[in-house]
Amino acid sequence: MYQLLKKLDRRHVFLMMALAVGIPILLQLQFPEKPTGLALAVFERVDELKPGDKVLLAFDFDPASEGELGPMATSFVRHCCEKGVKMYFLTLWPVGPQMINQSIDTVIKPDFPHLIYGEDYVNLGFKPGYEGVIKVIVTDIRQLYTTDDRGTNIDEIPMCRTIQNVQDFDLVCNVSAGYPGTKEWVQYAATPYPDDIRIVAGCTGVQSPLVYPYYPDQLLGLLAAIKGAAEYEKLVLEEYGGDDPDSKYTEAQRRMGPQLIAHVLMIALIVAGNYVYFAGRRRGDLN
Amino acid sequence: MLKNTVPLLITATTGFVLIVASFIPATVSWGETAAVWFDILAAIAFVLGGGNLLMHNLKKISNRQAGWGYAAVTLVAFIITLVVGLAKFGAPPSTNQEFYGEVFVELPFSAFPESQVFSVDGEIPEHVDEEFNELPPSVRNQLREVNGTIEFTGWMQPNQKQDLLDYDPSLAWKCRIDELAEKAQPPESLRGKVRFRSDHEALSFEGVMSDEDREALLALSDAPEWQEAVTTLDERTHKQTVAFLVTAPESYELPEAMTAVAEYNSETRQLTWTGPMTPGQRDTLTDRFARIKPLDEAGREAFVAEIEAQGDGLSEEQRIAFDKVMDTAWTVEQFAAAINQAGIGKAPEKTACELLDEMQLGDALAVNPKKEKPEDVELNDEQLAAIRDFASSDSQDIDAFIDSLASLGELTDAQRGAIQSFWQSAPTVGERNVVLFKALAAEGELTPEQKQLLTADSRAEVNWENAIADVFYAAHQTKYPWSGDYTASGSPFWWCYEYLFKPLTATMFALLAFYIASAAFRAFRAKNVEAALLLGTAFIILLGRTYAGVWLTQWLPETSPFRTENMSVFIGQVFNTAGMRAIMIGIALGVVSTSLKVLLGIDRSYLGSSDD
Repeated sequence: MYQLLKKLDRRHVFLMMALAVGIPILLQLQFPEKPTGLALAVFERVDELKPGDKVLLAFDFDPASEGELGPMATSFVRHCCEKGVKMYFLTLWPVGPQMINQSIDTVIKPDFPHLIYGEDYVNLGFKPGYEGVIKVIVTDIRQLYTTDDRGTNIDEIPMCRTIQNVQDFDLVCNVSAGYPGTKEWVQYAATPYPDDIRIVAGCTGVQSPLVYPYYPDQLLGLLAAIKGAAEYEKLVLEEYGGDDPDSKYTEAQRRMGPQLIAHVLMIALIVAGNYVYFAGRRRGDLN
Repeated sequence: MLKNTVPLLITATTGFVLIVASFIPATVSWGETAAVWFDILAAIAFVLGGGNLLMHNLKKISNRQAGWGYAAVTLVAFIITLVVGLAKFGAPPSTNQEFYGEVFVELPFSAFPESQVFSVDGEIPEHVDEEFNELPPSVRNQLREVNGTIEFTGWMQPNQKQDLLDYDPSLAWKCRIDELAEKAQPPESLRGKVRFRSDHEALSFEGVMSDEDREALLALSDAPEWQEAVTTLDERTHKQTVAFLVTAPESYELPEAMTAVAEYNSETRQLTWTGPMTPGQRDTLTDRFARIKPLDEAGREAFVAEIEAQGDGLSEEQRIAFDKVMDTAWTVEQFAAAINQAGIGKAPEKTACELLDEMQLGDALAVNPKKEKPEDVELNDEQLAAIRDFASSDSQDIDAFIDSLASLGELTDAQRGAIQSFWQSAPTVGERNVVLFKALAAEGELTPEQKQLLTADSRAEVNWENAIADVFYAAHQTKYPWSGDYTASGSPFWWCYEYLFKPLTATMFALLAFYIASAAFRAFRAKNVEAALLLGTAFIILLGRTYAGVWLTQWLPETSPFRTENMSVFIGQVFNTAGMRAIMIGIALGVVSTSLKVLLGIDRSYLGSSDD
């Protein structure tokens, strides 16, 4: 066993990882989810909104992290649609508009066709400037957003007429894959205006340790990685799912299957690696 | 001096402005201005970044450095993306910038006929707050106050009227605007056809301009610019578009309302369309397929038999799915309820002038803003029977149905509209059958013949819609060809994004899983106490982020801190938070120190060199 593990080729490790991820996807393995306090906090902040409230959905991610963040973006949009709130989409990432369009095309248009662009939701698109954009729009959104993503003057968009700055929103939902993202929204929006700007966020697993310190004061709730997305998805489905939810609304829960097997494999590999290390040390074979 | 001192001054000034703005509320706008400039510079940085990428990779290729082939690929990809994105190849014009069904000719505001200046007595109200004295942008060029009269040049559009009504809440102003909007319209025969869009400085015409229309327009002014604009507009409205409707059935005939602007040869299937096609005309042409009607038990059995005749019998689950789909069809009760709902009388609002007159004549507080409510109109028994007959018949002629209802009892215009809208919202047979196909396929197997039966109507509908859409776009005279979205579906940029950028970036991210697995096996060793602690924490987090952790410790009470998922959250919120806060505080102190050095000009490394 020792010799076998010691000589284990990394290509075999790659193959095991491919199988650990691929087989659960093919078998559609799914496991029950138990929402934790962080996901519950996000759900409650969105769920306590009233119809007509204004929600800023800042989708700061790209296709690279879509696998991890796409499902939570879908759930955020679905939850907002169910609550009947006004949705304002924007992004600080150059390919963020595609992520916004994807959410609009997969959730709003097919499942909430009664929602009207400009009255119920609007896409303000991408603005370059990283945290500089946040710094400006927390006090005056029109300084930077004079039109929406389609080029329509925002004063001609009914739902934008009452918006002066980010403080006018009842909630900010940020989905973030890195810089600029949740950390910048917390630092430049929630921190200077703690009574006026309320933020909940969903972020990648790598990013979550960086934003944990902001919960629960500057950040009212946090969905960490696909696990957080699956928990939130379950909460939304329990409340609004219906008997037979569309597969796009269970995407995060389905992705937890491959994650479980991959994590177990990782633990097995670490244990095996340590077995090789200690057995080698005992045998005086550390090369 | 220019190389170092100017950037240094800009950095120092901006930095100090932002610090001051952060602490003194009265100077918040200074900070905003600085941040806006930062955003503009950040946008310019994208351009500089592109230039840098070009220079770096060209240099690498030119010097034949190691990996120059990859540099060439990067360069080609960059240039292709830049060109297709900037030029918007294949991106159709934006629908909200185009005016489908209208043709345009440029006409400067100064060339608009003087005869088309309209006025009412009155003044433009002044507001206490200067900010509200600015006229709405949509009318700024056209509205002015001259010697106690309000003058409007051109024909007032509904959005302009609304903007003016919103300008001031007083009834007197609203009354004046109502009067002005009524006056500021084109000659009677041209209403609804010709428009002057001042923000575009263009004259537009909807449909085909008749000889009478042209003469009426030419008569408005003798100015050569106007005469030329009308003549050009006339020519453009007569542009012909020829298309072949290959998917049209042999018996196809143009709807009667279209014969004035189109000719169709049923032998060659050639459609000759004159002028632009309006969205309404497109919808009329498209709408030639049967809509569903409620199926009774016998109808359902016959339909099931028809499906089963094409292959296997439906399973029990498929039969349940079949009934579920059939139950979504409209019912006689829903149809009657929609008509009765529209028959509930609604008291119309009084106009601003009517209200003003009433207020001036009597007690202002007693004035009712609404007129008398008309009587409710409800369907009688004969009309209800007619709806039932229509639902069970094969007829698709909704106009004849409306006429028959009107002949059996009272029917208001709102009810006629409700019938049309209810009927238009019913799905077509093709749409219903596709839904049925999906529902049946989800519950069991279907033969190719059954699939063919259930999807044939939908295919015919989609083919027809596409054929009409082709004519619609071919007949349209584009006003802003570059107004489309560069990411429009089907455009080369979209193709690059969808089939190159998206899978490549997702692949790069996914590769992490493989490298982490390999690294975990080779490097994650408990060589000392710290490493062992890290290892233990990693186990808890890895298990706690999946159902495996829940399963392993499910025998413990849910609130137990020793359950894996609870330990995972605890580590994140307590140990991680404590560590991260310490690091963040340290970083913040470092940022303060570094920023001060930068602002005071002590640290100049960001200028590209620390020597001077």
